[in-house]
Amino acid sequence: MDESAKRNRGSLQLRHVDAGSCNGCELEIASIFSPVYDAERFGIRLEASPRHGDGLLVTGPVTRNMVDPLRKAHQAVPEPGVVVALGDCARDCGVFRGAYGVEGAVGDVLPVDLEIPGCPPDPAAIVRALRGLAGT
Amino acid sequence: MAGLLIASALLGLAASVAGAVASPRSRTPLTVGGTVAACAVAFAVAAHVLATGEVVRFHTDRLLPLAGFTLQLDRFGALFVAVSAGVGVCALIYRLGYEGHGLVSRTASSTLPLFVTTLLLVPAAADVTTFLFLWESMALTSLLLVLADHRYRPEVRVAGQWYAVMTQAGAAAILVGLVLLATRSGSQSFAAIGEAAPHLSPWVRSTAFVVIVLGFASKAGAVPLHVWLPRAHAEASGPVSALMSAAMVNMGIYGILRVGDGMLHGGPTWWWLGVMALGALSALFGALHSATSRDLKRLLAYSTTDNMGLVLLGVGASGLFASTGHRSLALLALVASLLHVVFHAVFKGCLFLAAGSIQQATGTRDLDALGGLLRRMPMTGAIFLIGGLGMAALPVLCGFVSEWLLLQSMLHGLPTADPAIAVAMPIGVGVLALTGGLAAFTFVKAAGIGLLGLPRTEPAAVAREVAPSMSVGGGILALLCVVFGVAPLLVIPAVTGAARSLTRTVAPDPLARGWQLGLSGVHDVLAPGILGAALVLVVVAIALVRRRLQPGPVRIVEAWGCGRELQTAAMEYTATSFGEPLTRVFEDVLTPSHDVDVSHVAESRYYVEAATFHTSLDDAFERRFYDPANQMLRRWGAVARKVPNGSIHRYLAFGMVALIIVLVVVA
Repeated sequence: MDESAKRNRGSLQLRHVDAGSCNGCELEIASIFSPVYDAERFGIRLEASPRHGDGLLVTGPVTRNMVDPLRKAHQAVPEPGVVVALGDCARDCGVFRGAYGVEGAVGDVLPVDLEIPGCPPDPAAIVRALRGLAGT
Repeated sequence: MAGLLIASALLGLAASVAGAVASPRSRTPLTVGGTVAACAVAFAVAAHVLATGEVVRFHTDRLLPLAGFTLQLDRFGALFVAVSAGVGVCALIYRLGYEGHGLVSRTASSTLPLFVTTLLLVPAAADVTTFLFLWESMALTSLLLVLADHRYRPEVRVAGQWYAVMTQAGAAAILVGLVLLATRSGSQSFAAIGEAAPHLSPWVRSTAFVVIVLGFASKAGAVPLHVWLPRAHAEASGPVSALMSAAMVNMGIYGILRVGDGMLHGGPTWWWLGVMALGALSALFGALHSATSRDLKRLLAYSTTDNMGLVLLGVGASGLFASTGHRSLALLALVASLLHVVFHAVFKGCLFLAAGSIQQATGTRDLDALGGLLRRMPMTGAIFLIGGLGMAALPVLCGFVSEWLLLQSMLHGLPTADPAIAVAMPIGVGVLALTGGLAAFTFVKAAGIGLLGLPRTEPAAVAREVAPSMSVGGGILALLCVVFGVAPLLVIPAVTGAARSLTRTVAPDPLARGWQLGLSGVHDVLAPGILGAALVLVVVAIALVRRRLQPGPVRIVEAWGCGRELQTAAMEYTATSFGEPLTRVFEDVLTPSHDVDVSHVAESRYYVEAATFHTSLDDAFERRFYDPANQMLRRWGAVARKVPNGSIHRYLAFGMVALIIVLVVVA
């Protein structure tokens, strides 16, 4: 993480990929950009395209239909793209483990650099973890 | 030299005979060999004439009854002979590898050498009969060659009909004009007409000029007489369309100049304003249609109309300057126009040969069905790219030099006090600028859609590079395109000599010699050589800097498509979609028609079963002018057919009435 923090120098642009989330994590991601947590003051932003990003912010267990799109999104990120697995489902499929439509956790599809536990994780925890990546 | 000129013609005839009698296997090499030899000899004669200014004369009383057969090759004619010969050599070398169905037939094999021979001889004709004989031979042989594929594609027949009618109408107009001049001046030799012309009445001169210009304009593909051109050039096989577009249309320009400047020695201002208007209309209309066309060869054919329009614009400007006493500017505009004729032949020959290769490799000319050909056909692709850059008039390729000179000649006419020039020149400059932009757009479309990206259909995906001889034929022209662009002074002295021999002007040489193009009396200079060197340097520098800055190997991944699974060629730009904004901007001129058909499921009208979209872009002149004219002719034909109904009584009555009329008139 220190290396990543040094590289990013206070600016972390992430592309968010919902790989099959229940949208609980999305609510918390939305709230980290609210006036209360205001992650942007730490240089953390969400990007519209992975081409402009430093990495991916992946939520949810990876469903079968999202395996290829997730891989393509990862390919589209300039090297070295970081992968953040946000929430318990992204880490180990959580309550959806073994469900018929679930391929596996994010770690089964992509190399994960940072995991943020919680179902869903607290906004403060998300900001704290991402600040570590951004180096702010 | 006259002997060599005749030898060239005889070689062409021998090749034609060989094509008619030889076995199918030896037909192609024999005709190609003979015709290339004929072109080479004719080129040598033309080069000699251009270099020394010697006039080659030949006369025999035998060939044509009453008039004889007279050839006279001066510098002006020699320029066109040299262009035809150069294009002929390349097209014939290309022909060796070309596998068109139609061209291997006995008729086509013996007609192709004849066509090339007439192209070589038309600019040498020295009297009305010889000229019309050669002109008609050129029209008929090219018509036969256009029709070569008629058994395989029905569109060819329609194209042939259009071509036959338009070219015959043009020839009739030329006949009327030349006969008028010949009878009034008492001799049918061009030189004698030229001597008598100043003493003719202005009415005769103007009538002859207008009729003859219209006739030649139909051959040059000027709007509104261009309708045959996009059809015939598109349907003709590769080498034939290159010959037609790079060599035959030039004869229209040759005719206008030979009559207007050579025989009538210029005329009133309105003649040349008319020629300029014709040129401006052709340039704009051709450029617009070529920018929006999706048929590769139709696109190139419209671009020929565009370029011939630019040449006519320059010819008109030259006449206008001459008629108002600006001798030096007139010579400059004429040199620029003739230079554009030469350079257009080079890059358009290149493009039509490459288009023929693409058609042979993929079986289609539809840009929307091509794609990714640069990787599969690198040689053809490179030839097309170089020719296309020439067509787009980008620096260090030949089209740039001639269009720059045209622009300069018109810009330097601006400060003159003459009102006609003051009005016409800014319009001319605007037309030149707009067509230049549209030509660049056309090039981006043709090269981007056809050569780059993913193949859109199976034939484009499995296309293979064509036979080496085809690449050689187009490659020579592509090389010339670059060489002439970097070193235009290789040809400018010859072109200036040709322009001087036509107008017999004593104005100073408009273009300074040396390694750069300087206009006399003006500060602008153009150094294409330095420009080329600078371009190469910049490219090399960028490549070096990029290599320096690049941290590691380049990772090549799919283009980002929002993670979509099916990223297919259907998502690429097509020629139609690329040209759509332009079609919309020029809707009033292009008048596109759209048709959406939606069919619903039988059970419920809320569900759509299929939707079809059809869009077409017709030629406005064809629809508004030629279609009604055709319908009218057809109606008259139907009426006329009712008159002879087979009844003997009626025919006897006709005879009776006719006899009475004759008796009444005689009495």
